[in-house]
Amino acid sequence: MRTQIRQSLDKMFTAFAGSVVLLIAGVLLVVLVPMFRKGLSAVFFTETVEFRKLQMDLHDRGDERTLKQELERVAAARKPIYDILLAFSRGLDMEPRVKEVKNIYQQYGEYLNYRNTPKEQYTECRKQAKEIRDTILDALESMDKQVVLANLDKALAQKGNPTFKDTPVQHFFTVAEQYRKTAQTVDLTKRSEYLAGLRDVTAAIRQLFGPLPGEDEPPLPMDQYGATRMDMARKALHTLLWDEQWIADGPGKPLVKKIIARKTQFTGTELEPLFDRVEKNFNALLLPRHRFYWQYFIDDWVNSHYFGGIGPEILGTLLLTVLSMLFAVPFGVVSAAYLVEYASDNIWIKIIRICINTLAGVPSIVYGLFGLAFFVITISAIGKPCILAASLTLSILVLPVIIRASEEAIRAVPQTYREASLALGAGKFRTLVKVILPAAGPGILTGIILSLSRAAGETAPILFTGVVAMGPIPNFGTPAEWVRNPASIFGGLFQPTRALSYGSYDIAVGDRISMLVPHQQFGMVMTLILLILVLNVTAIVIRSRLSKKLRGH
Amino acid sequence: MEPKSAVPLKKTGAGNAVRPQVAADSAAYVDSGKPAVISAERFSFFYGSKCGVNNVSMDIRTGSVTAIIGPSGCGKSTFLRSINRMNDLIPNTRTEGTLAVNGCDVYDKRTNLINLRQQVGMVFQKPNPFAKTIFENIVYGPRLQGVRSKRRLSEMVEKCLRDSAMWDEVKDDLHKSALALSGGQQQRLCIARTLATKPNVLLMDEPCSALDPIATARIEDLIAQLKGTYTIVIVTHNMQQAARVSDYTAFFCLGELIEYDRTDKLFTNPAKKATEDYITGRFG
Repeated sequence: MRTQIRQSLDKMFTAFAGSVVLLIAGVLLVVLVPMFRKGLSAVFFTETVEFRKLQMDLHDRGDERTLKQELERVAAARKPIYDILLAFSRGLDMEPRVKEVKNIYQQYGEYLNYRNTPKEQYTECRKQAKEIRDTILDALESMDKQVVLANLDKALAQKGNPTFKDTPVQHFFTVAEQYRKTAQTVDLTKRSEYLAGLRDVTAAIRQLFGPLPGEDEPPLPMDQYGATRMDMARKALHTLLWDEQWIADGPGKPLVKKIIARKTQFTGTELEPLFDRVEKNFNALLLPRHRFYWQYFIDDWVNSHYFGGIGPEILGTLLLTVLSMLFAVPFGVVSAAYLVEYASDNIWIKIIRICINTLAGVPSIVYGLFGLAFFVITISAIGKPCILAASLTLSILVLPVIIRASEEAIRAVPQTYREASLALGAGKFRTLVKVILPAAGPGILTGIILSLSRAAGETAPILFTGVVAMGPIPNFGTPAEWVRNPASIFGGLFQPTRALSYGSYDIAVGDRISMLVPHQQFGMVMTLILLILVLNVTAIVIRSRLSKKLRGH
Repeated sequence: MEPKSAVPLKKTGAGNAVRPQVAADSAAYVDSGKPAVISAERFSFFYGSKCGVNNVSMDIRTGSVTAIIGPSGCGKSTFLRSINRMNDLIPNTRTEGTLAVNGCDVYDKRTNLINLRQQVGMVFQKPNPFAKTIFENIVYGPRLQGVRSKRRLSEMVEKCLRDSAMWDEVKDDLHKSALALSGGQQQRLCIARTLATKPNVLLMDEPCSALDPIATARIEDLIAQLKGTYTIVIVTHNMQQAARVSDYTAFFCLGELIEYDRTDKLFTNPAKKATEDYITGRFG
């Protein structure tokens, strides 16, 4: 070949290889940067006063006095909004109104009984009260403004009736007056529409500021607090201000998504000013502040990852990884040493080697099922999914990787080392332990690094063998218990744990929660990557120290 | 290691019968003075079916320096490595005849390999210190022999390093890695390491082939110093070196011992034509 062609080919290859490397780096960036950005938002975010309240309630973090002042300020800012909402819903939501009216009627009956009213008078009074009640109920049921007003006026005409002075019947008139006011402003024909809109508005307000005043304490923590983070608060504000509707442009036309301002839906009603009020005073209502929530890495979750951190997940992942390494590394290195140093090169050893290489490529879900069948079901001493079963499964998963890397490393130790040691009168085992394994150390560590990352990130093998999405933290006992019963330290091994990989998987498949708390999911993924990075960097530092020592610098 | 032109021997009985006259004769030349520490008797070594060392009989005298010379693949290294059974590392080998060190058959099944190798130290072609500190390199052997006391180990290290004439160079760096030393120093460290097991025989397999002339000179000085205390067998390609350092020289060719005599005699007045051709550079 001519020199020129050879040179240009050489250049082309260089350019190609360089661009491939650049492409890989670019892909890595494209994948990692958005993930880290979202993940970091689990730690760095703008908190609201609700978050501070949550932290104070659960972990006693923060200054109680300042928080109290802030809560008072917020309550004062929120009061007008609640008032508007309450007034409007009173005028609109008929069911409680109907109930109230019926109640008043009953109360009146009891009132009369209490007074020992003579029977004739009693019947008379009840009859009159019933009339008023029915008039009001008619008014409440009707959608025609004229009918409503006429009925209400008819009921209100009885206001001056001396029979009802200072009796519960007076409440009828309060209700009637209130409703009269609403009925005059509200288009009653749109009442059901208003009701639907009102439900959305109330829900959004609850999401923003927590339960409405006077409501019962909800059972779930996620309903007990308003929006704890500004990004969640903005989402809630959006649903408060805008309504998404699927509307057909005309008969037979396809439905089109339209976003309509709620303000226009409620034009002219008492509710209208609420929207501007919330939007304009948004910061005063929530008191946002920047926060570095480092406790994310140690806190337990609250209400299945709706609030809180991922401490137990990190702990579980670390535990599983370290335990699986503890099981896999000794077995892997010993088998590699046997295969290289002791085994003669016969057909059986060749078959075993092929098996090991095949095992390295088996999909991880197969290991998961194997772990379930063997460690969980067959070995009755374990008997249930737990940390021990999961880490044993993981260790079997990484064993081929460790064996292969160690084999290569041991094979790469110069023959002269063996000769030197043997010539000094050392036995085979001593040579292995004192000379070959230390010299192969960096290579073996490379295998460990590779398998460490794999073990930390795998989901499928631990899926059936020892992880849970939600559950208690494994209990390893206290030092006092260890003194009393040393075996109790291992008790935790027989309990399931949570793990980062499975946690993020679980949030991803639980669609509702993944929509609500994307930061939790990405936070877990980011932490997993960081954790693997930290583990790897540690191992790489140890390896470079070791090989430096071996090289003699 | 495998000799390219080794003579494939006929099976056992026939092999013994073909004992070359030369070997017997040349052995007779040196059969005087001190007793033999290593004695080979019709010793043959086979790599599978190929013959590496063919029917060698020779005695190596206590306290002497014996050089083994010969062209590549003539079996001199194989013979040397048979003495402390380093050839065991190679699969599919077998031996015939006897090879005795201090009167014990090396290839006897009852031979304790560890004792043998502690008696017969070996220095290799390439310096091969362990990736440990200088100190750890030297105490490797004594520790195997069960020396635990820190003080005794330090004394041993000093003595061995003085014996191998490198104490002054490394006395401040005992706890630095041996791999940081130069090639010549590494080779002398390997000698020191071997001395630490207190052998009486020292086998050297081309110890200077990877070294520059200055380092080579120092190793040769060292050999001269060690002579008398240790029996030294050195394989070398360098005939000047053989002439300089050795008392006796053996010439191997095609796996056979051609001539074995006092060094001055062999180099000035070789008995065999082949020897003469080789040392005058006419072949090999």
